[in-house]
Amino acid sequence: MNPDVSEVLGLARLQFALTAGGHFLFVALTLGLATVVACLQTRATFGGGDLDARLVRFWGQLYVVNYAVGIVTGIVMEFQFGLSWSGLTHQAGNILGASLAVETIVAFFVESTFLGLWIFGWNRLGRWTHLAAIWIVTLTAYASAYWILVSNGFLNNPVGHRVEGDRLVLDDPVAVLTNPSALLAFGHIVAGALLTAGFFMAAVSAYHLFRRTPEWAFFGRSLRVGVFLSFPALVVTAVFGGLQMSSLATLQPVKSAVFQQETAEIARLQAELAARFGPGDYVPPEAWTRGGALVMLIAFGLMMYFTLAGFVLAFFRTAVFRFRAWHVALIAAVPLPYVAMISGWVFREAGRQPWVVYGLLKTEDAVSDLSPAAMRASLATFTTLFALLVAVNAWLLVRHARRGPADVGLGRDERPDADPGGREDPAGALPVPRY
Amino acid sequence: METLAIALLGFYAAGYFVLAGADVGTGMVAPYLGRTDRERRLVIASFAPFLLGNEVWLVATAGLLVGCFPVLEGELLSGQFAVIVPLLVGWVVRDSGLWLRGRVTGRAGRAWRAGCDGAVVCGSWTVALAWGWLLAGVLGGTPERPASGAVALVTAAAVAALFAAHGLGFAAVRLTGLPYERARRLVGRTRAVHSFALTAVLMAAVPVAAGVALPLARSAADHATLVLLVPALLVVTPPLVAVQVWSWYVFRHRVTGPSYL
Repeated sequence: MNPDVSEVLGLARLQFALTAGGHFLFVALTLGLATVVACLQTRATFGGGDLDARLVRFWGQLYVVNYAVGIVTGIVMEFQFGLSWSGLTHQAGNILGASLAVETIVAFFVESTFLGLWIFGWNRLGRWTHLAAIWIVTLTAYASAYWILVSNGFLNNPVGHRVEGDRLVLDDPVAVLTNPSALLAFGHIVAGALLTAGFFMAAVSAYHLFRRTPEWAFFGRSLRVGVFLSFPALVVTAVFGGLQMSSLATLQPVKSAVFQQETAEIARLQAELAARFGPGDYVPPEAWTRGGALVMLIAFGLMMYFTLAGFVLAFFRTAVFRFRAWHVALIAAVPLPYVAMISGWVFREAGRQPWVVYGLLKTEDAVSDLSPAAMRASLATFTTLFALLVAVNAWLLVRHARRGPADVGLGRDERPDADPGGREDPAGALPVPRY
Repeated sequence: METLAIALLGFYAAGYFVLAGADVGTGMVAPYLGRTDRERRLVIASFAPFLLGNEVWLVATAGLLVGCFPVLEGELLSGQFAVIVPLLVGWVVRDSGLWLRGRVTGRAGRAWRAGCDGAVVCGSWTVALAWGWLLAGVLGGTPERPASGAVALVTAAAVAALFAAHGLGFAAVRLTGLPYERARRLVGRTRAVHSFALTAVLMAAVPVAAGVALPLARSAADHATLVLLVPALLVVTPPLVAVQVWSWYVFRHRVTGPSYL
């Protein structure tokens, strides 16, 4: 391969991995926390007390801070297909592009509009309308995840298409929409997002209970929500993970063989693929593939024992309020779901190399025709920007989480009640402009 | 089907330029409209509830482009790499500034908000100038590489000026108090609504002109895709527009106080 193309390919892959990974850190928490906030608000709306309303505002604000940074990183993701991977849109655009289009318009468009209404409509919309807004935001966020995974599922396991010339044409839309590689991943991701939110809530609450801040009732309840959510979410995540793992043997046999270190099987598959697709290396990088899977499984094992123990402990009032070693452990455990999710993605994506569309288009044939200098500049810019955003987001989350529910900006009543004339058109009250 | 797809693309792109153009433009002139921290917060409150709903029109436009015109999307974006990257960076910087501005209070708050204001203004200008630059390339008949030379500079400056004028008109329709008076002074004798309507028409014309210059009809996706995608999108578009109209109705009053941002 031309050294320039090879460098651009490496840089473009690195940029995609870093921006997708960076974006996913936000997505995981956003998707889970939205669900929790919607449930909390449902309770608050159905005759809950003051505590319920405060829970919604506090966790809602952390959700919004995280969402805001997540959305800007997502924007870069959407444009990256065309920027760096025009070969992909050229060959697979008929299928991949369609699900991305539906995602943006049917899911994300609705989500954004209603999120604006939810954030700024506090004290302005009726309480039922406001509740409906957060549920629409949550459900469209799930729809977004589904459509994105339809795209990703197609890349991992292309179904429902026909090859015409050098392009793929949509043949069976139902097969694309019910691709097991998309559906199983969707279940895995949604449960994993709830798990992340559970760990996050439990950790923030544990911090306040450990510090013995005055908000013990508030955080006692939050801790229970987080811990009681984590364990079932982990079980569901693991079930979908197991189903995906067992489907690998038929869908992506090389990945499966590399994961299980079956050297003879790898050699057999390599020979078979080379005979079918021409000479080349068809074995994914072992360090990333197997390493990703092992890190994910270790994190899962740790979380399994930890959440099971927590699930039992949370039934005891004394443990919730006084078991300080557990509080410290809950705080320390926050990175675990993130580590598991990112390494899971590394396993999924590194493990399908050298393909970008499995068995149809190699990653090296999908990269845009760019100069290495342009790609280097873009990689440096986006990496710096994303690193900064991840750091700012973490700092703000910690800051707001530590501050507690006493002074939450979200949902504060900013109406100028003291100034009843404030809403009229000011043009009449002001002097005629001078020139 | 291709014609309908082009119409949809034009509709969403025009929606972005008219709606988000207003908040980008207001962000560009924010330091003129708001001289103090509190005034600038009021300026931001004028478009805060619409911010997410506005920019999502561009996300939808990009989605339509990749869904209905995938080959063109790849060629245009990779060809205009040098323009799209600053556009995205400006967008990200601006949005981060807006979302994070109000989130730090206390001692560090003043410097933080000043930094965020800087991000909003620089980001907004970058976005507007990048659109102008992109337009220069598309209208100049070279969508495969960024425009250069005096034409690119003039087009970028003109488009940025249009964004700023659109933002000023929007500010004059939405604001109160001193920021309102400042906007009023520049908008001049014309009624603010008229000025805003005029710039809105011009803003809508920008993507339409670009669409005419692009080879849309012959780069459409395969028929099997369009025949499913386009009707589905046509069906969902009216309710989407209705929800946005409702959102504008809910927040229709002039702003007198700060919002969450």
